[in-house]
Amino acid sequence: MGLSLVAATAIVGIAVLVSIELIVGTTIPTLTDFHDSYDDMKDRSIEKVQTDITITNVAWSDPNMVITVNNTGTETINTSYCNILFDGSSKTFTCSVFNIYPEKTALFNVQERANPGDIIKIITPNGVSDYYTV
Amino acid sequence: MGFSLTGTQVIFFVASVIIASAVSGVFIVVINDVSNSLSERGERVQDQLDYEFAIINDPNNIPSEGSNYLFYLKNIGGKKISTTNSTFTIFIDGELVAVANYNFSDNSINPDEVTTMYIVTSEIDAGDSTLRVVGPRDIDDEFTFTI
Repeated sequence: MGLSLVAATAIVGIAVLVSIELIVGTTIPTLTDFHDSYDDMKDRSIEKVQTDITITNVAWSDPNMVITVNNTGTETINTSYCNILFDGSSKTFTCSVFNIYPEKTALFNVQERANPGDIIKIITPNGVSDYYTV
Repeated sequence: MGFSLTGTQVIFFVASVIIASAVSGVFIVVINDVSNSLSERGERVQDQLDYEFAIINDPNNIPSEGSNYLFYLKNIGGKKISTTNSTFTIFIDGELVAVANYNFSDNSINPDEVTTMYIVTSEIDAGDSTLRVVGPRDIDDEFTFTI
């Protein structure tokens, strides 16, 4: 009886250890990944709050419409992933700089003339935008 | 008598080992299933945190092309988004838009990229409307605009 109890306890004990290993082995990586994603989301939210741009001027300089954009936030803006809309339609553009650092200005060139009254919208990579009526 | 006592002990021993093994096996299988489900649930929650998109149109100037209105969908999250009719569901003023009446210019968009969403003009009435775009893992964005 004593030996039976010892054997059964040993088997159940091993099963408990294996189960703990299974739980720990899957839970810890899941929690780590979740934590990383949560951190990324938090960083994106903070960046969005700290991002701001102002279109200070729009002028025609043949053959480009030159849009002057000032980074009025505290985040650096990658101009490659900005978007420009002329009266709602997306336009391709070139920019004078790759990054707009805080308090710095960049010139966006669009090879299309906007008409008086047209609304220009510039969107930063994280979705923050500014409007300008020509 | 002595032999039968030993035999009984052996039977008890074997029985206890069999029962303990069976209980342990079931226990390990259940725990394995629970941990797998927990892991999958974790991945889904992780996706919900990673996916984020925004409709970046000018709400007063919705462009059109042929028989479609164009909406620009920007990936502002941290993960590539599959942009297909099966991963996205669209509502206009609360009404479900038929799958055949919208499509995307790209099959997927990386973070910071933009895709164009084409919605058949007959789905949208003149005046103010609200577009609700529901993406993977139920992540959604609402956009109120005027045609």
